[in-house]
Amino acid sequence: MLTQSIMQTVWWIPLYGLIGGVAALPWFPGVIHRTGPRPAGYINLLMTTLAFVHSLVIFQATWNQPSQQLSLTWLKVANLDLSFPIEISSVTLGAAVLITGLNLLAQVYALGYMEMDWGWARFYGLMGIFEAGLCALVLCNSLFFSYFILEILTLGTYLLVGFWFNQPLVVTGARDAFLTKRVGDLLLMMGVVALWPITGTFNFAELAQWAATANIDPTTATLLGLALMAGPLGKCAQFPLHLWLDEAMEGPIPSTILRNSLVVAVGAWVLVELYPILSLSPVTLTTLVVIGGITAVGGSLVAIAQIDIKRTLSYLVSAYMGLVFIAVGTGQLEAALLLVLTHAVSMALLVMSAGAIIWNSVTQDLSQYGGLWSRRPASGLAFLVGIGGLIALPPLGSFWAILKLADGLWETQPWLVGLVLLVNGLAAFGLGRVFGLVFSGPLKPMTERSPEVSWQMVLPMMLLLGFALHLPLVLQYLSLLPAWEDINIPLAVLLTVSSAMSYIGWRFRPIQLPWPTIQDVLANDFYTAQAYRLSIVAGVSFISRITAFVDHYIVDGAVNLVSQISVVGGEVLKYTTSGRIQLYMLTVLFGVVFMGAMMMMTTH
Amino acid sequence: MLSMLIGLPILSAVIIGLLSDKITAAQIRQIALVIVSFLGLWTIWLFSQFNPAASGMQFAEFIPWLPIVGLDYSLGVDGLSLPLLGLNALLIWIAVYSTDYSGERPRLYYSLILLTSAGMAGAFIAQNLLLFFLFYELLLIPLYLLIAIWGSSEKQGYASMKFLIYTAVSGILIFVAFLSIALLSSSGSFAYNPQATQGLSQTTQLILLTVVLIGFGIKIPLIPLHTWLPDAYVAASPPIAILLGGVLAKLGTYGLVRFGLGLFPETWTIVAPGLAIIGAITAIYGALAAIAQKDIKRMVAYSSIGHMGYILLGAAAATPLSLLGVVLQMVSHGIILAFLFHLIGVIEAKVGTRDLDVLNGLMNPIRGLPLMSSLLVIGGMASAGIPGLVGFVSEFLILQGSFAAFPIPTLVCITCSGLTAVYFVTLLNRTCFGKLDNATAYYPKVQWPERTPALILAALTLFLGIQPTWLTRWTEPTTDVMATTISDVHKATHISTSSR
Repeated sequence: MLTQSIMQTVWWIPLYGLIGGVAALPWFPGVIHRTGPRPAGYINLLMTTLAFVHSLVIFQATWNQPSQQLSLTWLKVANLDLSFPIEISSVTLGAAVLITGLNLLAQVYALGYMEMDWGWARFYGLMGIFEAGLCALVLCNSLFFSYFILEILTLGTYLLVGFWFNQPLVVTGARDAFLTKRVGDLLLMMGVVALWPITGTFNFAELAQWAATANIDPTTATLLGLALMAGPLGKCAQFPLHLWLDEAMEGPIPSTILRNSLVVAVGAWVLVELYPILSLSPVTLTTLVVIGGITAVGGSLVAIAQIDIKRTLSYLVSAYMGLVFIAVGTGQLEAALLLVLTHAVSMALLVMSAGAIIWNSVTQDLSQYGGLWSRRPASGLAFLVGIGGLIALPPLGSFWAILKLADGLWETQPWLVGLVLLVNGLAAFGLGRVFGLVFSGPLKPMTERSPEVSWQMVLPMMLLLGFALHLPLVLQYLSLLPAWEDINIPLAVLLTVSSAMSYIGWRFRPIQLPWPTIQDVLANDFYTAQAYRLSIVAGVSFISRITAFVDHYIVDGAVNLVSQISVVGGEVLKYTTSGRIQLYMLTVLFGVVFMGAMMMMTTH
Repeated sequence: MLSMLIGLPILSAVIIGLLSDKITAAQIRQIALVIVSFLGLWTIWLFSQFNPAASGMQFAEFIPWLPIVGLDYSLGVDGLSLPLLGLNALLIWIAVYSTDYSGERPRLYYSLILLTSAGMAGAFIAQNLLLFFLFYELLLIPLYLLIAIWGSSEKQGYASMKFLIYTAVSGILIFVAFLSIALLSSSGSFAYNPQATQGLSQTTQLILLTVVLIGFGIKIPLIPLHTWLPDAYVAASPPIAILLGGVLAKLGTYGLVRFGLGLFPETWTIVAPGLAIIGAITAIYGALAAIAQKDIKRMVAYSSIGHMGYILLGAAAATPLSLLGVVLQMVSHGIILAFLFHLIGVIEAKVGTRDLDVLNGLMNPIRGLPLMSSLLVIGGMASAGIPGLVGFVSEFLILQGSFAAFPIPTLVCITCSGLTAVYFVTLLNRTCFGKLDNATAYYPKVQWPERTPALILAALTLFLGIQPTWLTRWTEPTTDVMATTISDVHKATHISTSSR
């Protein structure tokens, strides 16, 4: 009974973040001067702590319980019922715990990282709203509200990336993040709008039931699937909508922790929820695998050629989400969610460590780092564990996720196993290279005086490091690990060997690849940005200019021409008003003759 | 009860016009503010007395006026007019409140604004075609003068004349249509009566409907009848632009639904596919033209044209959902446009320019306009249709309601939503973001009279976006009945053609 009433309070979880976000408003510039902006941060920390504890309590309550539904009516008009269904299960609550927990760590981290910043209220307010959106998204069981929240998150990303808005790169980064994600969102909206007349429901569970027996035209199914896929595609920064994540690195690091680990992950979450509908069309599933494959290989290659420490991480996010796309495309939903979880934890750890390094070294350029292991033991350890957790290194988290994924492909699509091994190897190589460049070798001018950061940043890093190390135990407790006898030994060995590429990366740690052409192509992300600028951006700009030209000179020009003609006509005709009777009589005569002629013509 | 909304402003317009010279502009503003506040309260009271469950006309008033020509003083309110009455009351209040204290010719100015208020309210509640036409034409004079005298651009003479001619043509077309309805139909009167037009032949109906559509199409405006709009909006001072864009343009869409769809349900289904295509073209044309603009007020004016395209699409589809979305879109677009025009007015007043190439970094917390910029983000995003803000609900209802009937135009309109995001992001990036120019950045402080309207509109944008039920409950029964009429007629014609 008590657990029941606890579970009914699940809708509070997103509210904490929202309250925090709204409560930060009074500390915006120009409202409260006396206290400085810090109280806004503390309020948000408190709210996130409450949300974390609350979701943890409900998570406990849901353990070993069947999932429950809760529905809040939002809008019910005509034949459209837009209620907010909440799914209370250990999976959704587990996700909520992860979100609130990571946000709590990121906010504590921000206490140190954003110490001198004047925009605390804005930053913490947005982080609170982000948390609210992410929690609401995982709890809600409705396609409509998933779309709804994804769009709000798009706006949130725009504002968070544009946080330091007086720098030009930040402004363009924010713009590209917004517009790229909006493209995905709007395609998703097309899917949402098109789905309703066919199914009559937005509830994921009911959609799955419908899909199980649906008899739908293959073309419709494909178009629908491709449209629905586009939202997660943009969110997960997959090819060809991947560019924004890299540019979003201009935003503050504490928000990058959330973005690189969780915001991209909710895209994958929605994709998993949509799987029953996507699976109606084999073309859609193949597209998922192809896009995921391209992004995974491309992203991990591009990451190797980057010189900016943040960018080496951002492309790997795309690459790992590509693996998740492959998992969903081949129907391995559990592996997909597992990979999302392990990736979120390890990536958050890597970003925290990278942020700590940047904070005291003043540079993001890998070539200027070196020898930091002696100066920065905590950050170094965190980076190392982050690498271990991200690549398939037993016994840490992602090993089990990638093993599960590859094991599922082992029988059916062995070439994809090769692809997974390749991506893992490339990622391992790239991360080993970054680690080597930053922590090994001789000290350089920028790293000579780079002490470890203050506790606000080290504490969350260490907590997360501990969690990342314990993640396999957690997975075992959740019985997500395979039994010993089920482990595909050759595969496990192959994975471990490919992970050993990180040693090679560390050993050689190339700043530039030996082949200049390939280096340029990869460093410039296959020139995607330029391609966009030449095609879509130029196209829209050209068409809009043409429209404005037509509007100004042709449509409006015609209007002005009419007015000119009437003015000129009046000017000319005014001379006929001369007052001479003879002229008037002549006009009347002509008129009568003309009309007479007309009548004669018509009567005959 | 309804007469108060017409009578009081006309009466007070006369009284304000006759006030002595000794009363200062600020005092006249106070008087006008008291009157429009009272009108606002009166409207709120109407809302409280309105029965949202009923679909027919409420608070009906009827006084025979000139029975010989069929003109009656006949008023009534249903779920279509009530939200627009509310919008009118709100935006008139904001226009009066946000007007500068030290304006020129204050007596004339406030009289004209009050006349405008009376005209709009009258047009929204008139239940007689001729009476509607009277109010529709009445609006022309005060708005023409308001643009021509208090305009804020060097082209105000050109713009106001263009506005006058376009609107007059629109009025003539509507009058021709109404006159023909009264003469040709069995009733022989101007009373609003959907049955009266049923007896006409289909060709006659089609001709009349086309005339009505072109007439209101100028007012909405639709491509290519739109060119008066950017000029008029840009030339008008911010409070007048709020009235023009927020309420006056809604007369066109209101007329489209009330007199187009309402009077010609059988013929509506014939023109609907064409209308949907024009709607999609209007949406995409407005959005594309907006992207190329350099003046932020002009950009918002073109965005307004684009948003009208959605309304046309929803009206064409005429499903319960899309019609509800249409009414919602009228209200939400009114709120958002007023919000944006007000903010742009404040920015222009402080910074002295509306040029995208000059504006920069207004988000700066100390020397910029941080509050106005933050609100501009909300307004722009609401207009771009981000969920959680008022614009989204109406757009979604329209799109969802229209998709089954007109899939391709609906998808085009969704694409336009993306283009909307393009120019609003451009606007926000250039205006709010970026580095503030040190040399010029000594802007006057934003005063409370400038903040309050913006905050009220922001609160409404957020609240109605999160709680759309507060908007839908008034309208739903009315639009349901309208949509049912259309679909019944549609079915009936289907059966009759198939049985033949």
